[in-house]
Amino acid sequence: MKKTLLSLAFLSTMAMLQLNAGEQFAMSDSDRAMYKEMLENNPADIYVEEGGEMFEENLGGEEALAKFLGVSEKELPKYIAGFPRYIKKLGNVVGIDQVLQAMQVEQGKKKTKLKSGKMFSMLAYVKSLANDEVPNIDTTEPHEKEAYELGKKTFMTARGGRGLSCNSCHSADIVGQVLRTQPLPDLGEVASGATWPAYRMTKSSLRTPQRRFQGCMKNALLKVIPIGSKEMVALEVYVTKLAQEKGKKIAIPGLKR
Amino acid sequence: MHTKIKCLALTATLFLSASLYAVDLTKAYDMPDASKMIKKDLFPEAKKYTMPKSCNLNDAAAIARGKYMFHNLNGKKAKKPAPEGLVKFTMKKGKDGKMKKKFKQFGNCVACHNIEGAKGAGNIGPDLTGYKANFIDTKARDAQFVYQKIADPRIDNPNTHMTVNLTTGLFTPEEICDFTAYIVSKK
Ligand code: HEC
Ligand code: HEC
Repeated sequence: MKKTLLSLAFLSTMAMLQLNAGEQFAMSDSDRAMYKEMLENNPADIYVEEGGEMFEENLGGEEALAKFLGVSEKELPKYIAGFPRYIKKLGNVVGIDQVLQAMQVEQGKKKTKLKSGKMFSMLAYVKSLANDEVPNIDTTEPHEKEAYELGKKTFMTARGGRGLSCNSCHSADIVGQVLRTQPLPDLGEVASGATWPAYRMTKSSLRTPQRRFQGCMKNALLKVIPIGSKEMVALEVYVTKLAQEKGKKIAIPGLKR
Repeated sequence: MHTKIKCLALTATLFLSASLYAVDLTKAYDMPDASKMIKKDLFPEAKKYTMPKSCNLNDAAAIARGKYMFHNLNGKKAKKPAPEGLVKFTMKKGKDGKMKKKFKQFGNCVACHNIEGAKGAGNIGPDLTGYKANFIDTKARDAQFVYQKIADPRIDNPNTHMTVNLTTGLFTPEEICDFTAYIVSKK
């Protein structure tokens, strides 16, 4: 089951990446060759697999997760495609990683840090369970609506040493223009909200969406805000909704330059 | 003896609270605060500036500094030695008490603008090649316009995608002069 899901994810990631391959002109020819090879063999597959093992051993796997979330195992993929979402017993709109922490605490185990590689792997595995689903953030749910609005606000807020916002570089009117050899992606069109966690070639590691946002903040001199903060989760809601509006399917792990 | 009792009491409290709050999961996960960080990271509203009289647009050293800052991101990434009057880094005492390099941020204007000699220029902003002949000599623009644009472009375009360089405090008025001198110079 897991294998088919993974390879399905893989197929759709491949299709998407091939569409974009022509745009990757910030890459050298040797990088491009490596990228092609990775399309066939995403180095992040191994992290996802490891994450799955940890999730099984440490937390009891899909069965325990479904129980914790109060859904059946069959409903789990669709439910996961709705994250970050409002979880009543956690009292907030949270990411999958925060749910895993709460499960650990409930089971009397030590919390895995949100920014740890271990958590990134577990998160990637759990999100991959929703592969092929279109994200379904529900903005009719008041808490999720509020998170979406906060995400939008955070996205639009100019700050930091250079006075930039996420929107300075990712607004619709400058998509496709070039920032220092890098074409600016349309975050909805490249399905950012459905393809992270992804393997980031330039960092040689698995990165989560929130970790990716931190990368942009650091580069653009916006104060880097912590993973798991309300604003970060809200940004993930906002960016996920962009992919949802374009009908993009979840395909974890993604593969990025 | 005393510590032992304290220890026991502590263990008992821990036990108690653990069992009392076992069902409350609202504090079971990390949700660090970011709103204070964001608030501190904001900067003042659009501001009008007058180019200082001390701005010497013909000073070769100023033009060299402007050029260097235009083409480089920061002191860590910049390869060539910094021109006279500009440093790549300063030494600062870190949290551990050790002296550490604090790299200076430059303009990285080339990320968005093409200009003479640019490598890997972006195209988010207009091409500034031939700026003197096309815009200054024709009187379409003047140095004051360029100064204001770099210092705070929100004055003539509230929705600009350009960086704000003086109001955010990243650069000094002298450094905005340097940028201006470079752009309006003959290259
Ligand atoms: C100064 C310009 C700039 C700013 C500001 C900026 N970004 Fe980016 N962002 C980029 C560029 C350029 C890329 C593409 C990089 C690449 O190709 O590796 C990118 C890529 C991304 C991606 C990955 C897209 C994918 O492939 O899935 C995400 C997600 C993202 N940005 C989110 C954000 C968020 C959230 C913020 C604000 C906190 C932000 N960005 C601010 C320039 C910027
Ligand atoms: C993130 C993109 C970006 C960066 C970085 C950037 N600019 Fe700009 N720049 C723009 C855009 C977009 C415009 C178009 C006008 C506007 O929106 O203000 C512009 C306009 C200008 C103009 C006015 C040109 C004219 O005559 O109309 C000047 C001069 C200029 N920039 C200089 C600079 C300098 C110097 C730097 C670095 C300190 C810089 N820019 C960094 C995007 C950028």
